[in-house]
Amino acid sequence: MSDPAPDVNSALLSALKDNGADYFVSVPCKLLTGFIKTMEQDREIGYVPVNREEEGLGLCAGAWMGGRTPVMVMQNTGVGTLITSLCSLGNYYRLPVTMIISHRGSPGEPIGAQVPMGTAVETLLATINIPTFRFGDPADAGKVGQLVPFASVAEGPIAIILDFDFWGQR
Amino acid sequence: MSGNDTMRRYELLQTIVPALGDAFVICNLGFPSQELYAIKDSERHFYMLGSMGLSSSIGFGLAQQTAKTVISIDGDGSVLMNLGTLSTIAREAPTNFVLFIVDNGSYGSTGDQPTQTARGTSLAAIAKACGIESSVEVAGADAADALTAVLGTPGPHVIVAKVAPGSPKLTPIPLSSLVIRDRFRDAVRAAAG
Repeated sequence: MSDPAPDVNSALLSALKDNGADYFVSVPCKLLTGFIKTMEQDREIGYVPVNREEEGLGLCAGAWMGGRTPVMVMQNTGVGTLITSLCSLGNYYRLPVTMIISHRGSPGEPIGAQVPMGTAVETLLATINIPTFRFGDPADAGKVGQLVPFASVAEGPIAIILDFDFWGQR
Repeated sequence: MSGNDTMRRYELLQTIVPALGDAFVICNLGFPSQELYAIKDSERHFYMLGSMGLSSSIGFGLAQQTAKTVISIDGDGSVLMNLGTLSTIAREAPTNFVLFIVDNGSYGSTGDQPTQTARGTSLAAIAKACGIESSVEVAGADAADALTAVLGTPGPHVIVAKVAPGSPKLTPIPLSSLVIRDRFRDAVRAAAG
């Protein structure tokens, strides 16, 4: 499937890099197809595709202790599998990990099964005290990047939710 | 390969601690961390206090950032929770990474319930099938020699050390998560020069 708006992916990665992000892990999502390709082709960043979000958080934890500024790229459904590790690793050791979370289950969504987790995700993140920000305009790529240093200020994981409109796919 | 009848994780850790040298060590949560702390504490030890299953992933994530040796001390129950990371480690192939799995066939920190390795699952075979060529299973008594043999040779390496269940009674580590985090990160930074 070709990406309908490739520029937003380059803009997003540039914005994240400009703000210090230099280590990325990812779990796939249809909305992330183009962004994952952009990360794969970037020779300046560390990039590891992982099998599961918990594994990704572990990699980010190790990478941060090794001096990197980590970003985990994932779909909102992955938040469900990640709650315990976000609490007992991310929050408990106060590890600054920026999560870039594509959002399924909002208007534009063709698959009904995505709606329950799409609806629950922000409540789950709020319940475990993860600062959460939501964007739906490709023009906001720069603002997304500027949140990377906030993870260090907040001393802990932060969540940035990007929905269909961010990729112009509604 | 048969396990050792008498050696438990605590005695195994006693034998491997001298071999750890100046490696950075990520230690699995619960009794393993308590035992390592009791045997020898170091700012180069990252003691996990939660997030069961992620010792391998944390160590691997660190190994990618440093030229120093990184050793994750893991457990059979924890590795079984995060088997997928073995394939990621195989593909990324960090040469300075050792996954040292204490396989006592039980969930030791929760009352020694048997894990699937007690019923025949081979973690060394799984690691090898994932693509980590240097994957061996050894009796606990031979594990320190096996670890010494691979240190300094290009990895990644997986060593599965078979021991008996059981643990001495210890107390939780009297260090906060932030102390563990900060002194470990400082040690990594200092080693990088």
